[in-house]
Amino acid sequence: MIDRSVLSKSYFTSDKIVRHHVDSFNSFLDIGLQKVIDEQRIVETDIEGTHIRLGKIRLGHPVVREADGAVDKLYPTEARLRNITYAAPLHLGMTIVSSEGEKDEKEAEIGLLPIMKGSKVCNLVDLTDKEMIELGEDPQDPGGYFIVNGTERVITTLEDLAPNKIMVEFEERYGDKIEVAKVFSQRRGYRALVVVERSRKSLLEVSFPSISGRINFVTLMRALGIETDEDIVNSVSEDPEIIKFMLENLEEAEVSNKDEAMEKIGIRVASGQGKEYQVKRANYVIDRYLMPHLGNDEAHRMVKAQFLGRMAQACFELALGKRAPADKDHYASKRLKLAGDLMEDLFRVSFNRLTRDIKYQLERASMRNRDLNVSTVVRADVLTERLVHPLATGNWVGGRTGVSQLLDRTDYIASLSHLRRVISPLSRSQPHFEARDLHPTQWGRVCPSETPEGPNCGLVKNFAQLVEISTSAGSKTQIKNMVYEMGVKPIVPQLVGMEEKITTYVTELEALEEAQEMKIEHEEDEDVGVEVDIFE
Amino acid sequence: MVVATPKRIKQIKFGLISPKEYRKMSVTRVITADTYDDDGFPIDMGLMDTKLGVIDPGLRCKTCGGRAGECPGHFGHIELVAPVIHVGFAKLLRKILRAICRECGALLLDPKKKEEYIEQIRILRKMGQSAEDVVSEVFKEARKSGTCQYCGEAQQDIKFEKPSAYIEVDEVDGIKYEHKLMPTDIRTRLEKMSDVDAEVIGMDPNNARPEWMILTVLPVPPVTMRPSITLESGQRSEDDLTHKLVDIIRINQRFQENREAGAPQLIIEDLWELLQYHVTTFIDNAVSGVPPARHRSGRPLKTLSQRLKGKEGRFRGSLSGKRVNFSARTVISPDPNLRIFEVGVPEAIAKELTITMNVTPRNIEEAREYTRRGPENHPGANYVIRADGRRVKVTEINGEELAELVEIGWKVERQLKDGDIVLFNRQPSLHRMSIMAHEIKVLPHKTFRLNPAVCPPYNADFDGDEMNMHVPQNEEARAEAKILMHVKNNILSPRFGGPIIGGIHDHISGLFLLTNSKDKINKNDALELLAKMEIRELPEPVGKENGAPYWTSKQIFSQILPGGLDIEFKAEICEKCDQCKGVDCEHDAYVVIKDGVLEQGTIDEKAVGAFKGIIIDKLTKEFTPDIACKFIDDATRLSIRGIMRKGFSFGIDDEYIPDEAQSQINEVLESASDKVEKLIAAYKAGELEQLPGRTIDETLEMEIMKELSKARDSTGEIAGRHLGMENSAVIMARSGARGSMLNLTQMAACVGQQAVRGERIQRGYAGRTLPHFDKGDLGASAHGFVKSSYKNGLSPTEYFFHAIGGREGLVDTAVRTSQSGYLQRRLVNAMQDLEVQYDGTVRDTRNMIIQFKYGEDGIDPMNSDFSKPEAAKRIIDSVMGKVKE
Repeated sequence: MIDRSVLSKSYFTSDKIVRHHVDSFNSFLDIGLQKVIDEQRIVETDIEGTHIRLGKIRLGHPVVREADGAVDKLYPTEARLRNITYAAPLHLGMTIVSSEGEKDEKEAEIGLLPIMKGSKVCNLVDLTDKEMIELGEDPQDPGGYFIVNGTERVITTLEDLAPNKIMVEFEERYGDKIEVAKVFSQRRGYRALVVVERSRKSLLEVSFPSISGRINFVTLMRALGIETDEDIVNSVSEDPEIIKFMLENLEEAEVSNKDEAMEKIGIRVASGQGKEYQVKRANYVIDRYLMPHLGNDEAHRMVKAQFLGRMAQACFELALGKRAPADKDHYASKRLKLAGDLMEDLFRVSFNRLTRDIKYQLERASMRNRDLNVSTVVRADVLTERLVHPLATGNWVGGRTGVSQLLDRTDYIASLSHLRRVISPLSRSQPHFEARDLHPTQWGRVCPSETPEGPNCGLVKNFAQLVEISTSAGSKTQIKNMVYEMGVKPIVPQLVGMEEKITTYVTELEALEEAQEMKIEHEEDEDVGVEVDIFE
Repeated sequence: MVVATPKRIKQIKFGLISPKEYRKMSVTRVITADTYDDDGFPIDMGLMDTKLGVIDPGLRCKTCGGRAGECPGHFGHIELVAPVIHVGFAKLLRKILRAICRECGALLLDPKKKEEYIEQIRILRKMGQSAEDVVSEVFKEARKSGTCQYCGEAQQDIKFEKPSAYIEVDEVDGIKYEHKLMPTDIRTRLEKMSDVDAEVIGMDPNNARPEWMILTVLPVPPVTMRPSITLESGQRSEDDLTHKLVDIIRINQRFQENREAGAPQLIIEDLWELLQYHVTTFIDNAVSGVPPARHRSGRPLKTLSQRLKGKEGRFRGSLSGKRVNFSARTVISPDPNLRIFEVGVPEAIAKELTITMNVTPRNIEEAREYTRRGPENHPGANYVIRADGRRVKVTEINGEELAELVEIGWKVERQLKDGDIVLFNRQPSLHRMSIMAHEIKVLPHKTFRLNPAVCPPYNADFDGDEMNMHVPQNEEARAEAKILMHVKNNILSPRFGGPIIGGIHDHISGLFLLTNSKDKINKNDALELLAKMEIRELPEPVGKENGAPYWTSKQIFSQILPGGLDIEFKAEICEKCDQCKGVDCEHDAYVVIKDGVLEQGTIDEKAVGAFKGIIIDKLTKEFTPDIACKFIDDATRLSIRGIMRKGFSFGIDDEYIPDEAQSQINEVLESASDKVEKLIAAYKAGELEQLPGRTIDETLEMEIMKELSKARDSTGEIAGRHLGMENSAVIMARSGARGSMLNLTQMAACVGQQAVRGERIQRGYAGRTLPHFDKGDLGASAHGFVKSSYKNGLSPTEYFFHAIGGREGLVDTAVRTSQSGYLQRRLVNAMQDLEVQYDGTVRDTRNMIIQFKYGEDGIDPMNSDFSKPEAAKRIIDSVMGKVKE
C-alpha cells in the first residue's frame, strides 16, 4: 500500500479549516466592495445639475474609537472583552459635481465594516504565535468569524438551489401529471422563477413574476420577437417528435405577430387600463421580470426567447422520456453562499441606504445654502448601524433569519464544526425526505456522518475534510475560448446569414458564464459543470 | 371574603348582541379618548374610567366596589356616529344582501318555499345536525330572482370588495352604473327583513337579527382585560386594545364634528371609511386586504382576534394548555433496588413540595412535630394556615413557637415524605401508563430514581431523559391516584392484554444465565443471590458435593415464585422444532412450574420480559397485582445478582469467526455476486422472466435484492454456527434481552444491502451512483451492497453507502415523531369526550350512542390474555384441572 500519510500531512500543514470563509471574505474586500460602489456609480440629487460621483473605496485596519476621540489599533481579544465590534473604517473617494463645475475628489469615512478574524485586513495577519499570545489570542484559533459587540458571530454557509439552470420535473395539476421546466433566474439580489409547462394537450404555457397565472408560450415567443412559425419551431428543437408537438402549439396560437402578442400580454399585466399603457407595461414587464439573468433591456429579448425555447425542449424531452427529471439534490445543482457573498448582499443594501441619506443631507444642506462638503453630508453611522445590526441579530437583508450565529465555544471541536457548517434554507417542518438523504454526489464535499439528529437532520451539513470551494469562474473570454477549443460549434445553422441574431448567442453565452459563478468546483465530471448540451 | 360557589353550566346560547343589549350591559358611555388626567387618575367617561374596573392597587371600582384583583371588570360602550360593518360577518352579509329585496327587504323566495325550508331546518336542528347545506341552497335560490315577488322592485347585482365594501351595479342600456352601499343603507334593508325570512336563512331572530351584524354601538372591553403597564421610567404604556380604542374614539369624534359642521360628502365618506378601518382592525388585525394597524415601533397590534387565534391564543394556549403548581421535573436515573412502584425523589424537591394536612385531634401531634422541625429539617413544614385563613411561613426561628400555636382547624403544609403518593409522568403522554402513581422514597442527590422495570410503559431510558412529578393535594385525589393509577394496577397494558412492566435487558440475560446453568450453588452463593429478597429459609439442598450442600439454580429461582403457581409454556429460546418434545426438550426450552417450583426450563423474555412475560401475566391475573409486583421486584433483583455472579461482557473478540468460516462466507458472497451478474446478463439479453405486475426493471431489482438478502442470511448462518451459546451477544439475542441474530450477522459476517425507501441506492451521478463504478453498472457493490462485516471494516464506498442507509433511519425517526404526535392529537381531540356508560354503551356528551357495546364486542383488552382466544382455554384448563384433582 502506498503511504498516504505523506499526502494528508502535507495537506494539513496549511491552515485549511476556515479557508472558505477567509477566501470568500477576502475576495469580497478585494472585488466585491468596489463592485457595489461601481454599480451605484453616482448619487443623484434633486438639486439641479448636482450629483456626487463615487470613486475608489479604501479599507483600513480594525480600530477602536475611544470616547476622547483617540483612535487605536484594535485586536480581537480587546474587542471581545470590551464588548465592541471588530471593524475597520471604509473610506470612499467622492466628487461633487454641480452646475458650477467639479470640485476636487475628497475621501470621506463612510462607515465601519465588521472584519472577519483572520482575513487579510485583520490585525493578526502575519503575527507569530508568540506575538499572538502576547495579544491574548490563541494561535490555534482558526478565525473565520466576526466579533460584533463582543460576541463572536459566524456567517454560516448557505446552500441554495443553483440559479439560472433548467430543471425539469413532473407536477400534478388537477389530477393530471404534467411536465414542467423551471428556472430560478437570478440577477444580483433579485430572484425570479420562470416556469414552462406542458399541459395535457401538449400546449405550452409560461409563468413568471408580475404576471398572474400562465401565458401562452407562442404568444410570449412572438412578443419577444421570434415571430414566424418556422423560427419558433427551430428555437425549440429539431427533433421530429417535438416538432409535431410544436405544430400543435402553433395551431392553437392566439396571436400572429409581435404587436398582437404585446397587446395580449398587456391585458394580462395591466387589465382595466388604457391600451397604450398596457403595451408599455407589457414591454417593461418582459424586460424586467422575465429571466432577469439574461439582461434587462430590449437587446436581450432574443436571448430570452432562445432560452425559453430550450426550456420548452426540455419539457418535451421529459414528456417523451428522452430526459430524466432533474435531480435537485445533485450537488451540481447546488450553490453555496459564503460569508463574502452574504456580506456583499448586505453591503449593497446598506450602501444603498447610505446614498439615500447622502442625497437627503445634501439637499438639506443646499436648501440652507450651506457649502456642499463631502465630509459633512456623509453620516458614517448610517452604514455602520446597517452593517452591524444584521450581523448581531442574524436578520439578513431579504428577510432571511439565522444567517449569523453565535460561535459555538462548547469546545475546540465544536467551534471547528460550526465554522464548517452548511445550512439548507428548506423548511424544517416539512418532511423533504429526498433533500435530507445523503446524496452520492456529496462524496468528498460534505461529511457523510455529521448531521444533527431531529428536525434539522440532513438539512444542516458539514463540509468534508478535503472540500475545495471555488469562488469564481474566471474571465469570460477565457471560458469562451475554452468552450470553442473543446470543439463547440457556433450554434444553430438555420440562422446562418442573420447576423443580428448570431450576436445574441454570444450574449447568451455570456449569461451562461454568469451562471457559472460561485459554484462548487467539480472534478472532471461529465455530468457536472458547464451544461454543455446547450451548445450542441 | 365572598365565597364563590361553583355553578354547573347547563346551556350555552350563541347569538348576536343587539345594540340594546350592548347598552344594557355597559356601565358607562365612553366619550373621551384620553385615559388619565395630569395627576394620573383615570378620567371619567374615558377609556380607563374606574367604572370599567380597576387595575391600580388602592383604587376601588365605582361599579362593584371591588379592589384590583377582586373586581372582574365591566363593559362600557362607544356610540358610533355612523354604523360600520363587523368584519367577521362581511361574507355572510354579502350572501344576505344578494338574497333580499333592495326595496322591501323581503327574502326573494315564494312563501311556500320558505315554509318548506323552515321545516327542513327545524328537522335538521332537532336531529342535532347542521343546517348549513339547506341555508346555502336558500341563498342560491334566492339570488336567482331578478325582481321582487312582493313589491316588484328590479334587483341589482351586488359586488363585494374585500374586506367590507358592497357595490350595487345597475345596468341601464348596457352601461353599468356603480353605486356604493353605505352601512346605513345595508342596515335599513336588513331591518326590513321579517323574522320569518331570518329563520329561512338559518338565523334565530330572537337571538340574532341580521341588522345586528352592522355595529352602531361598540362595546368597550373592561380595563382588566387591557391593563396598562408602568415602565421603570414611571411612564405608562397602554395595551394594544386601548390604543385601538383611542383611535376609534378620535375618529368617531372627528366624524361627528365634521358632520355637524356640514362638511362635504367626500370628507364624510373618507372619515367613515377610516372609522370602518379602525373598527375592523380592532376586531381583527389580520384581515386580508387591510393593512394591519401598527404600533409606533412598527409592530402590528395584537387585537381581539389575535388574542384568540393560534397556538399561543386563548383557546390553545390558555384554556387547553395550562401550567400547574406542586410539580417537579428533573433527570431520571435507574435504581434497581427500588420497588417498581417507588420513585426516588431528591431531598431538595421533597423539601420544596408540600401536602396540606388538615389538623384534627388525631394528627395534631404529628402536625406540631412537622412545624417544629421547620423547613430545613427534612420531613418538616413550610407553611401553616391559621383557622382564619392567614398563611404563616414557617422558619427556623419561629418553628418551635408556631408548633405550640397549631390547633385543630389549622392547616399545615408539610413536606413530602416516604410513602406519599405522587403522579409520575414522561412526555409524550401517549397512553394512560405514561402517567402513573408512585410512592415516594426520599433519596440524596438530584435525580429522580426509578426501577428500570418501569421503563417500558414510560418509554424512558437514562440517556438524559427528564420526567415530571405532580403532588395530588387532597385526600380524594390521592385515593383516586392510588386506586386507579398506581403502578401495580397498571402492570397489564390495555393495548394487548399482557404485562407492560417487566424485566428488560440485563434482567433477562441474568435470569437466563442463572436458570440455564447446571451450576451447583453452594450455601454462600445461594444466600448472596437471595440476600435482597425477603426469604428466610433455604429449601432442602439437592445433594452434597465435597461434604457441602448445594442447590440448583432452578431452586434458587423458585424461591421468588409464589406457591400455588402452575404453568407450562415454551421459552423464548425455543428452537421451534417440527416435533415439540415438550418436557423432554434438549434445549431446556420447555418451562414447567408446579406449585411455585421451577421444575424445568429456562427463564427468559417469554417468562419475565415486559410485553411477553407469561409468569407476570399469570400472577397479575390469577393472583393479585401485589404478588405480581413483588415477583417483579424479586426477579429483577435476583437477575442482577445472577448476572453479577457470572459476569457478562462483550468485546470485539466475540465477533471473531474462524478463517474457514470466513472463507465460506466469502464463497457465499462470491457466488451471490455471480448470480447477480447472471441476472444482469439475462436482463441485458432480454431473457429475464418478468414478474406479474412488474416492469422488467422492477423485476431485475427485486431479483437482485432477493438474491443478496439470501446471501446475507446464509453468511449469518455460517457465522452463527461458530458463535454458540457461550457468546454474550448470542445469549442476548436468543433470550430476547437485546439485539437479534441479524445484528450479530452484521457484526461478524456481512452487513448486507443498504436501502433507501426499500430500494437499492440508485441516485447519484449520471448513470452511476459514485465515480468509483462504471456507468450503467447494475452490480451489487455499485448499488450499496456491503460485503464486509463491521468487524472486518467497510471499504470507503461501502462506508458511504452505509452512511446513506443510516441517514434514512435518522430522518425517519425525526420526521415520524412529529407526525405521530399530530396524529395522536387529532385522535384525542376527536374522542376525548366519549365515555363507556354503565349500560355498556359508548356515548358522547350529547348522550348519542357511538357504540352499542364497547369495542363492538364488549371485551376489556386488558384482561383478555394477549388478545388471543386463549383466555377461554385458560378457564377450561383451570376448571378441568380442578375436576381432575
